[in-house]
Amino acid sequence: MNTAALEAFLARLYTDDALRERFLAAPQAEAQRAGLNAAEAEALAAIDRVGLELNVRSLTRKRERREKRDHH
Amino acid sequence: MTQADRFGLGWRPDLAAGIFAHLNQIDVVEVIADDFFEAPKKERRALRTLAAQTSVVLHGVTLGLASSAPVPTKILEKTARLCDEIKPDYWSEHLAFVRGGGIEIGHLSAPPRNADTVEGAAANLARARQIVGSLPLVENIATLIDPPASDRDEITWVNDILTASSCGLLLDLHNLYANATNFGYDPIEFIDRLPLERIAAIHLAGGKWVSAQGERRLLDDHLHDVPDPVYDLLTAVGARAPQPLTVILERDGEYPPIEILLAQLARARTALAAGRAQTKAL
Repeated sequence: MNTAALEAFLARLYTDDALRERFLAAPQAEAQRAGLNAAEAEALAAIDRVGLELNVRSLTRKRERREKRDHH
Repeated sequence: MTQADRFGLGWRPDLAAGIFAHLNQIDVVEVIADDFFEAPKKERRALRTLAAQTSVVLHGVTLGLASSAPVPTKILEKTARLCDEIKPDYWSEHLAFVRGGGIEIGHLSAPPRNADTVEGAAANLARARQIVGSLPLVENIATLIDPPASDRDEITWVNDILTASSCGLLLDLHNLYANATNFGYDPIEFIDRLPLERIAAIHLAGGKWVSAQGERRLLDDHLHDVPDPVYDLLTAVGARAPQPLTVILERDGEYPPIEILLAQLARARTALAAGRAQTKAL
C-alpha cells in the first residue's frame, strides 16, 4: 500500500465536506478517482463510519476553538 | 538522593495566576511548545521566568511524527531553538499524523497502523534527535476512528515504534482509557504489554460521551475532570513501573477553580503512591 497516498486522502476526507459526501456515497469509486489502487480503495471502503462522523465533528470543533482563541 | 515522582499541570494562560500562586503544590509545568514558536519577546521572557522558578517540560502538537512523510524541518528547528532557550527537562510529541498531501488536518489523527508509519516514525524521530539534539518522549493518542488501512492493533504498533527507536514513552492514561473503551480492549493488558521501563511521563485528562448513528464513544476533550478509572490506571502503572514518573494533568478549557485542579493532582499523588505501595508489599 502507498501509505503516503492514504494519509493524503485521509487528510482530505477529514477536512473536505464535499469529498466526504461523495466518498460515503461511493467509497471505492471516490478513492480510485483520487488515485488510490484497488487494494487501498477497498481498505478505505471498510472505514469505521461512526468513527469517521465523530472524528470529523471533533476535528471541526477543535479547529473552531483554535481559530476563536487565536483571534482573541 | 533518590529521584521522586513529580506532579504538575499543563500551562494555559487562563491558569497562569493560579499556577504561580501555588507553585508549592506543583512540581513541574508542561508548556505547549507550538504556542511559543512565534510568541513575542515579552511572552518568551515570561516563559524563561517561569522556567527559572519551576521545572518546565515542552509538549509539541504539530510535528506529525507518526507519518510516512517527513516532519517539517522548520518545526524541528523551532523546537530546537525553544529547547535551547528554555532547557526543559524533556520534550514530547504525539504518535500522530497531522497533515497529508499538503493538507493540514488541524489536530492529531491516528495514521494507518502499518510498517510504513512505523518506519516513518523511526525516521522522523532520528531527524528530531539530529536537529533538536534530543529525542522526544512519544505519546499515545486518543482516536474516535479506528484508523483505516491498518494491519496491526494499537499496542503492537506503539511497541513497534518503541522498538525502532530508543525514545521514552509519555503514556496518556485518558487516551488509553478512551481507546480501550471505544474499541473494546483491556487497558491493563495494554499496559502490561508495554516496555514498562520506557515510561517516563504520564498524562491525565477527562472527556465526555459523544454519539453518532446510535453508537456512543468516549471523546478525550480535556474539558472535564479526570474520571475514576484513569486514577485506577495510574495506580496500575505505579505498581508496575518503579522508575520516577512525571505526571501532568491536562485541562484545555471550561476551567474550574485552581483548587479543583490541585485536588485532582493530590488525588493523582495518592493513586500513584497506592501503586508504589503494592509493589513494596510484594
